[in-house]
Amino acid sequence: MFSLVCRRFGAISRNSHRVLPAAARRQYTNEQTEASFSVLDYKLHKLESGPSANVTVTRDDALKLYRQMQVIRRMETAAGNLYKSKAVRGFCHLYSGQEACAVGIKAAMREGDALITAYRAHGWAHLMGLSVAEILTELTGRRTGCAKGKGGSMHMYTKNFYGGNGIVGAQVPLGAGVATALKYSGSDNLCVALYGDGAANQGQIFEAYNIAKLWELPCVFVCENNKYGMGTAVERASASTDYYARGDYVPGIWVDGMDVLAVREATQFAADYCRSGKGPLVMEVETYRYSGHSMSDPGTSYRTRDEVQEIRQQRDPITNFRDRMTTSGLATAQELKEVDLGVRAEIDEGVERAKNEAELPASEAFTDIYSNTAPFMVRGCDPFTTHPSHTH
Amino acid sequence: MAASMGFAASSRLILKSMRPLMQLSKPTPRWCAVRNITRSNFLSGVEGTKLLMPALSPTMEEGTILKWLKQEGDAISAGDALCEIETDKATLTLDADDDAVLAKILVPEGTSGVKISSLIALLVPEGEDYKAVEIPADAAAPSPPAADVVSDGQIQGVSDTTQFSSMRHAVGKDSGVLSPAVRQLLDTHHLSATDISPSGPHGRLLKGDVLQFIQEGGAKKHPTVEAAVPEPTPLPVTQTQATAPPPAFVPPTTDIQQQATYTDIELTNIRKVIAKRLTESKRTTPHSYASTDCNMDRIMNIRKDLKKEGIKVSVNDFIIKAAAVALKELPDVNASWSGKEAQRISDIDISVAVATDKGLITPIVKNAIGKGLVEISENVKDLAARAREGKLQLHEFQGGSFSISNLGMFGISEFSAVINPPQACILAIGSARMTLSQSLKPQAMTTVMMSSDSRVVDDALAATFLQSFKKNMENPLRLGIL
Repeated sequence: MFSLVCRRFGAISRNSHRVLPAAARRQYTNEQTEASFSVLDYKLHKLESGPSANVTVTRDDALKLYRQMQVIRRMETAAGNLYKSKAVRGFCHLYSGQEACAVGIKAAMREGDALITAYRAHGWAHLMGLSVAEILTELTGRRTGCAKGKGGSMHMYTKNFYGGNGIVGAQVPLGAGVATALKYSGSDNLCVALYGDGAANQGQIFEAYNIAKLWELPCVFVCENNKYGMGTAVERASASTDYYARGDYVPGIWVDGMDVLAVREATQFAADYCRSGKGPLVMEVETYRYSGHSMSDPGTSYRTRDEVQEIRQQRDPITNFRDRMTTSGLATAQELKEVDLGVRAEIDEGVERAKNEAELPASEAFTDIYSNTAPFMVRGCDPFTTHPSHTH
Repeated sequence: MAASMGFAASSRLILKSMRPLMQLSKPTPRWCAVRNITRSNFLSGVEGTKLLMPALSPTMEEGTILKWLKQEGDAISAGDALCEIETDKATLTLDADDDAVLAKILVPEGTSGVKISSLIALLVPEGEDYKAVEIPADAAAPSPPAADVVSDGQIQGVSDTTQFSSMRHAVGKDSGVLSPAVRQLLDTHHLSATDISPSGPHGRLLKGDVLQFIQEGGAKKHPTVEAAVPEPTPLPVTQTQATAPPPAFVPPTTDIQQQATYTDIELTNIRKVIAKRLTESKRTTPHSYASTDCNMDRIMNIRKDLKKEGIKVSVNDFIIKAAAVALKELPDVNASWSGKEAQRISDIDISVAVATDKGLITPIVKNAIGKGLVEISENVKDLAARAREGKLQLHEFQGGSFSISNLGMFGISEFSAVINPPQACILAIGSARMTLSQSLKPQAMTTVMMSSDSRVVDDALAATFLQSFKKNMENPLRLGIL
């Protein structure tokens, strides 16, 4: 009798997961295949309706999202440690804390959609198709890196991923250009152009908004607002910190960037909007970075350590998502621990390869200058030395 | 991860994994509950995560651990500050990456010279027994940096104080540290820290130990190092450390570098300009030299006669006039090199070298050919006085077509001067000396040497000029008539 009642309750819960709160479900089933959560409300600019504040995620999707976020977090930590042991030199901008933005946006993108971002790009490079090993070996300058070790942190590209751009805000007009190409080619793909709160005041971004709205380009402009442009807080940098409303005639959405499901939902909405031919959209994802601007910035001279710790404890995207998954029954803590271990192994392997693989020989300094040319002789450091442009 | 577990460790692993079955596990500590991490027996193992010394700035090679902000056994969350590290530039904090427990501090606070990527602490994951962490064998003590003593006998520069003080001997835990006082004593007495037995805590070498060693006649103090000039840093004579025999006998000074004490004299602007111009002149102008002796008797006599009349002129004024007359006779010598050819200068303006304490200045006697001796004399006196005060105007020392430099008052018998560009010649006058003429009569002779720019005034022309000059000097009548 009692077991019948339980099974009945279980049936109800399985079918009405959209209605019952998460806590009630847990008692009845071991593993959910789907769960719903409510996210922080979106703020809309010149939009009558926005994405839904009730989001659903399947178990498989949730595990995938969790794993991706964990990979990015660990990979960035590993990159930071490699930098601190001087295996990586030059610039290194870490994405720790902002994983939910990247993972959420990518989850709503389709095959064939293009993306362009600034220099905080390691996480994006991975999500767009490069393996952790390829990224870490590129950072340490080895031949198996995605740019053969010649490029480093700010020079990572892959199919439909346009980098990796050093000049602040320069990638946004490029993104509008990619969107133009996609529209011109007749596909229904869109381009996501990301920039930060520091770049949001750059003039060329407004030029990009203009041309995108004028020609109704399928471009989603995403402002990753991590509250600090290098060391300047947004209140000190911008007259208006409503970056989602900066597009003026371009409609905008504000999303809580520490919640991967909210970001995914908002991006889905934005993608549908663009694909239906209504033109561009601006999306502000409010997030936070734990490390400094780059490895030469300790990150504590313009903000207190307490502030960083508070965000880590209360708003960390990975921890909060993990809690959601365990409390809603999508996965057990043990399972997630195993995912963590798998991720750790993947990163450790990448780090090993990054430390031990060989670099390119010096003759490769003169190759890969032009694409698709016949071999020619490249001038060396003085007019009297030349080197072959193709080594094979 | 579990690769390096020994038998004891693996048996502990088995015991730990059996714990939930045996219900012997301790209740989850409160700090674990805050983070909602369950104790995972899957991760049991005592292998600690290594915490390496980070390079907190790109130029950092080694640093000092100032203070540990967490103690052994403390729980650490990601982002917590672990320790303060002093780098070559600033003091920065090292943050933790992950949630963990600080298991073992291997490098205590206050240790300096910790190389980057060296092991400083061990962390274990949360929930593990931090006391049971395995300490890697090679992390027993910070390895002393290699003592790179130079043994090739080359003289070391004064900046190598750090080289000597990096010589340490590892006897106890703290034995590598030498205090500045100890280092100073070791340096000045050319001792090696290994020769003296330490008596301080953890095998530390104390100043008293060194002093006692010296008192007992361990080493002879070097006599000349503490020479009159006080030196800011003691001289590290490292090569004698390597090459000299044990300090029973200190060899004499020959192979020991004397501290070259020098003071930098800041050049005044004038001297800088002089330096630049003369260097350029000597480097680019082909100097050729010609000298002749002039009999000064007649000039001396005329000068004496004029003095009786109350007219004061110096021998120098005669020389200036003589040179002017010679230049009038041979206008090709009054020329300059334009870069491509010799250009005659129409005016005869003679620059006279005046020594001031700021440098050698050459004020110009303009139109020397048109002036009499008295006027020349007044000009020169006035210019020289103002030159010494530094009150010459630009046009009074820039220009001129011929220079004369007289070192006769200093007793110089003969010297050669550097041409002042863009002039072509300079006449260097020596002092008058008494010699015997051919007929054994005493005569006062002066050697004059002319440096000329061979591009403008070749040797033949220079010789002709000097002939004319000599005639003018020896027959002062020519000065007025010609």
